[in-house]
Amino acid sequence: MPPDNAGYMVAAYVITAVILVGYAARLWWKAGWAIGKEKRER
Amino acid sequence: MSATAASARKLVRGGTAITALALLALAGVYVLALGFTPIEARQGPAQKIFYLHVPAAWSALLAFSLVGLCGGLYLWLNDRRLDRFAASSAEVGVAFGVVMLTTGPIWAKPIWGTWWTWDARLTLTLFLFFLFVGYLALRAALHDPSERARFSAVVGVLGLLLVPFIHLSVYLFRTLHPQPIVLKPSAPSLPPVMLRTLLISVLVFVLLYVGLVTTRYGLALAEEEREGRLDAA
Repeated sequence: MPPDNAGYMVAAYVITAVILVGYAARLWWKAGWAIGKEKRER
Repeated sequence: MSATAASARKLVRGGTAITALALLALAGVYVLALGFTPIEARQGPAQKIFYLHVPAAWSALLAFSLVGLCGGLYLWLNDRRLDRFAASSAEVGVAFGVVMLTTGPIWAKPIWGTWWTWDARLTLTLFLFFLFVGYLALRAALHDPSERARFSAVVGVLGLLLVPFIHLSVYLFRTLHPQPIVLKPSAPSLPPVMLRTLLISVLVFVLLYVGLVTTRYGLALAEEEREGRLDAA
């Protein structure tokens, strides 16, 4: 009978998604901001 | 619009599309790992953390190795593109490093009974992570582009020297960290169904690395072009 430690597995999967999606969203936001700023400056 | 600004936009768009595709594929890896890969008999469900921890660790080491390689090439060829790529790869490597250093302890707690132990593999990996956090801090602190590129290239090369030690640390030192089960001279010691999930996850993480680095590179190019335009004005 395998040990019952599913809580740790769920925590790791949730944290990984938060980190990777969060980093991608931050990059997209910065890129959108940089391109928007370039347009405004022109 | 200048040719540089157009290339930056193209890179950001391409990188965004690849990243979005990779994140969708990552959702598929979650379904595959959680729903269609068996639970390991001794470790239980916590073993499935392995399908995220190992690809994140390999991707972080790939990213940091490329920073060192591009840093070395920059010192030789003095090409700004290499510096831009190294900076982008370092930032993405740190993001993967955060995944590696959070999922590792979450796995260790139920399996080893402790969140962290100061053994060779873990300690060296933590040092490598801090070295690249320092690399990014150094870049943020230096304003002269060529000075920033030269100094950070040296730090990147020093980081690259740590990578083989980290891989070999489980052979060189007594360590709690599991021995390699895939990247070793003999055949992988993993059931085929688990190996399949691991390799698919590795491919998805590499795709995510490509997407994020492309976006970050495009962003760096856009920022440089803007700074150049403002300086010229």
